[in-house]
Amino acid sequence: MANKHVVSFTLNGKEVDVAVEPRELLIHTLRERLLHTGPHIGCETSHCGACTVDLDGMSVKSCTMLTVQCEGASMVTIEGLEQGGVLHALQQAFHEHHGLQCGYCTPGMITRAYRLLQENPNPSEEEIRYWISGNLCRCTGYQNIVKAVQAAAQKLAAAQPA
Amino acid sequence: MKVELEKSFPLPAPAEAAWALLQDVEAVAGCMPGARITERVDATHYKGTVTVRLGPASMAFRGEVEVKEVDAAARALRLAGRGMDSTGTSGATMDLHARVEAVDAASCRLLGRSEVSVSGKAATFGGRLMQGVAEQVLQQFVANFAQRLPAVPDVAAGDGAAAPVPPPQRELNGLALAWAMLRDWLRQLFGTRRA
Amino acid sequence: MGDMSELQAREDQLQGMGVSLLRKEDARFIRGQGSYVDDIKLPGMLFGALVRSPYAHARIKGIDKSKALACPGVVAVLTADDLKPVKLHWMPTLGGDVQAVLADQKVCFQLQEVAMVLASDRYAAADGAALVEVDYEELPAIVDPKKSMAADAPVIREDIAEKKDVGHGPRTHPNHIFTWEAGNQAAADAAFAGAAVTVREEILNPRVHPCPLETCGCVASFSKATGNLTVYLTSQAPHIVRTVLAMLSGIPESKIRVVGGDIGGGFGNKVPVYPGYVVAIVASIVTGVPVKWIESRIDNISTTGFARDYHGIGELAADADGRIKGLRFTALADHGAFNSHVSATKFPAGLFSICTGSYAIPNAYCRVDAVYTNKAPGGVAYRCSLRVTEAVYLIERMIDVLAQKLGIDKAEIRRRNFVQKEQFPYTTSLGWTLDSGDYVPALEKVLKAVDYEGLRREQAEKRAKGELMGIGIATFTEIVGAGPTKACDILGIGLFDSCEIRVHPTGGVIARLGTMSQGQGHATTYAQIIATELGLPASDIVVEEGDTDKAPYGAGTWGSRSTPVAGAAAAKAARKIKDKARQIAAHLLEVGEGDLEWEVDRFTVKGNPGQAKTMKELCMAAHTGNLPEGMEQGLNAVSYYDPPNLTYPFGAYVCVVDVDRFTGEVKVRRFYALDDCGTRINPMIIEGQIHGGLTEAFAVALGQQIPFDENGNHLGNSLMDYFLPTAVETPRWETDHTVTPSPHHPLGAKGVAESPHVGGIPCISNAVIDAFAHLGVTHMDMPHSAWRVWQQCHALGIDRH
Repeated sequence: MANKHVVSFTLNGKEVDVAVEPRELLIHTLRERLLHTGPHIGCETSHCGACTVDLDGMSVKSCTMLTVQCEGASMVTIEGLEQGGVLHALQQAFHEHHGLQCGYCTPGMITRAYRLLQENPNPSEEEIRYWISGNLCRCTGYQNIVKAVQAAAQKLAAAQPA
Repeated sequence: MKVELEKSFPLPAPAEAAWALLQDVEAVAGCMPGARITERVDATHYKGTVTVRLGPASMAFRGEVEVKEVDAAARALRLAGRGMDSTGTSGATMDLHARVEAVDAASCRLLGRSEVSVSGKAATFGGRLMQGVAEQVLQQFVANFAQRLPAVPDVAAGDGAAAPVPPPQRELNGLALAWAMLRDWLRQLFGTRRA
Repeated sequence: MGDMSELQAREDQLQGMGVSLLRKEDARFIRGQGSYVDDIKLPGMLFGALVRSPYAHARIKGIDKSKALACPGVVAVLTADDLKPVKLHWMPTLGGDVQAVLADQKVCFQLQEVAMVLASDRYAAADGAALVEVDYEELPAIVDPKKSMAADAPVIREDIAEKKDVGHGPRTHPNHIFTWEAGNQAAADAAFAGAAVTVREEILNPRVHPCPLETCGCVASFSKATGNLTVYLTSQAPHIVRTVLAMLSGIPESKIRVVGGDIGGGFGNKVPVYPGYVVAIVASIVTGVPVKWIESRIDNISTTGFARDYHGIGELAADADGRIKGLRFTALADHGAFNSHVSATKFPAGLFSICTGSYAIPNAYCRVDAVYTNKAPGGVAYRCSLRVTEAVYLIERMIDVLAQKLGIDKAEIRRRNFVQKEQFPYTTSLGWTLDSGDYVPALEKVLKAVDYEGLRREQAEKRAKGELMGIGIATFTEIVGAGPTKACDILGIGLFDSCEIRVHPTGGVIARLGTMSQGQGHATTYAQIIATELGLPASDIVVEEGDTDKAPYGAGTWGSRSTPVAGAAAAKAARKIKDKARQIAAHLLEVGEGDLEWEVDRFTVKGNPGQAKTMKELCMAAHTGNLPEGMEQGLNAVSYYDPPNLTYPFGAYVCVVDVDRFTGEVKVRRFYALDDCGTRINPMIIEGQIHGGLTEAFAVALGQQIPFDENGNHLGNSLMDYFLPTAVETPRWETDHTVTPSPHHPLGAKGVAESPHVGGIPCISNAVIDAFAHLGVTHMDMPHSAWRVWQQCHALGIDRH
């Protein structure tokens, strides 16, 4: 019987407990035990970023994180961005600016852009491209993704109290 | 992915002693870091393992060694080995010609020419490192081999006591190897090449 | 008749053709609620992990499953011997060959499938796979296709060694697959003999891989109780797969259901039937529970459909003014160990004979010789029509070579050779009838937009200072929309497509088609077609694809065929419904059908505009008792569309590059892409496709390759090495268009998503080579990575001060 550890953390605002082997990756725990299939698996060498989640205020590639490292963490995935039935500005902007086609990179991409806008509310195009360089996309060529992030940044800035 | 190496190493022992040790396949295997003979199938066929550790991870190769030729007059032998790692994702073969050449009564040279070929994951991911790794492994092997040789007794002492044989290294430590390679590479950049 | 603004308002409400309608698909993707194959969980589901060969060519002496079977969580281990009783250890490919499902006695390419371990979860399956012991006897491998047909070459395919033909004509050597040719060799040779100038280059299209972000996989579920097999699958052609599975398994096709859900990119990689699918299906049949198999990225790059690997020789013969009189293109095609390239029976080299391009070339001959090597089987059409990238690359490269030889400007030489507008429909000397085209205005528009003359002046100034600047042009014609069933089939199944439309009493519509989106936006664009045709708002039109239980038969989505074939079927089906609606309207309005006019969303009586029936009203009317004598209720129709011809979208692209002569680094300064895809359904989606296709072209031209060492070991089969551009190096793309409708397509539309890839590759490659043209360089093989370009700089001695 493999030794399992109980790990507790907050996922999209809810407390969760899982019993996992030490070698279990966070991406597998999220997708298979916690049924959050938003983050995706696109490679096994930590390049593609489809698995990106937001953990304790940082973008993290959940394929390169062991679940046992997440004790007490506060985690946000794409599923947690819509609040009270209202889409996050990024989600809306990706739709309005055609920033997705097959949708596979989208959860990781939006989650990464979310962290970008938390840290840099007014990024230049170059900064956006640099920030999302760890998220690969095969469909869009990134151009509309950049537009979407810029539009979301503007919307979020406008919504800030003066 | 093939690597060819041709090296010669000085040894502080008479040629006969080195040749005797060379023919002892189990002892020779014991000098290869991480290697071990596990079974003697017959006079010329052996089975063995090589274990490589890289931090917490380790890879175990299982294989066969065959003594293909022995030429006592020339003090030369030919070994062929092939193996596969335990997960079945990498394979390796080796063809080794080894010879002992006398220099003088108390010293000789060990000459080796080998062709090592790897397949699978080891080739895909390790191919670029192979030359460096092979050289390091060979250096460790020779050091171990030299330590196993009975020391030339002091003419004055004359009691023929053999020098203590240090225990052979049981594992091939990947990180130590990488460090040794880096060290050597830096030396090459800034200093003269070692033989 | 309403006034213009009222008509416009009604049209706007439809959100039909021509509108940049935001996508209906997005809602689930932006929430992370897509349903990709790996998202599917079924009760009792087992996970399958493949055991693969580390050797490129080896005999299997024995397989020991005992340690694997003893591993906790492992339920079974399947090898070829377990598939033999059901005769599934070999399967037919879409190329007329056979492929080993699990290696039977020998392996023919590195990472070939040897066994599958079934376990309760993916970790146990991986543990089990590591414990299967296979005893191999290594054999010499053939990696260079030029050596495949040597007299002493090892025989790769012992299983077909005696066969004189593997689907495409006589073989001359055990490692030979087929030789295919088109055109008139004697006429071409004569043209070369009498020509003022000839040029010849050896041109490589290296082996690359489409590498969609989602790898291939399936969940196979066989129910012992019902005898039904359901397979959730990453497949661009679900119906074809269903038919192939029926042929393979003996299960009646009516009891097989293939479901294509959301697919994370295909690009041709998800067309073939892979061994993993077949083994998972057998495993499900044997165990009676669902089995999931999802491949890793390394497995995907190493073993699934690669693209290109064409070793070509291009020759052009021309007069002193650069007018091409003769063309001879030959290629050695490396198909790996099994030919699984989607091949119409008559076209094993796909549509390679489109290689006369946009030019009126009177004498042409092309030939492809295909051989086996110890590499992964294939190929596939990576974001292109079958073998069209190879063809277009050859002609667009060679016309540049000719221009350089004669000292003629590279835009001017194209003008001199274009098929002129008045020559359409134009039948090329290799047999394709280009239905329409207008190449000159497209080229002129692009050249003006980039200030071509200014760029050439700048280039001259830079050259005087020793700087490398290149200008690449590509004026390509693609051939897409396979295709007319007389010529185009897969395993005998014609490449028609279909659309079935049902209209509900309250005006909602559901349309199901035989194509399969992998991100192309079909749910939106087909709805737009039907909205315009039927006069019902796109928001009320639901589009479904991919479930073979529900959708009418089609050949799937690849080679840009959705709009040309299924889009036509959608229009045709909608028109059948409209015809019936017209009859109902005439009946209700008590006029003759000829007295009615169609106006955006309703039938009005000529001369009496107050008298009208909207389509919405007719939807309800069709379900009542008040219908013309003898008419059945309902407003449904299905159309199976067999296209009369393929379609020929074209484009004019210009690329400007700056090359650092010290590092070999290539920077794309500007890329201007003008595409003509005929009628444009959704400009926003078209632009997105162009961006994506150009980015993939950029990847191929500047970095993608699948290299092997001499023993058949992969040297770059993970994302550590395989070049997928990030947002940092991807250039900004400028897009433009002209519209030359296809005369034979019901909507005049041609398909567009792959054109940017097909045209982008030679455009970027031409630009890089043009940067060296003044130094006498006529050709450089792709990929133009910094290392390889630096080697050219080094050879020219310009990488130092």
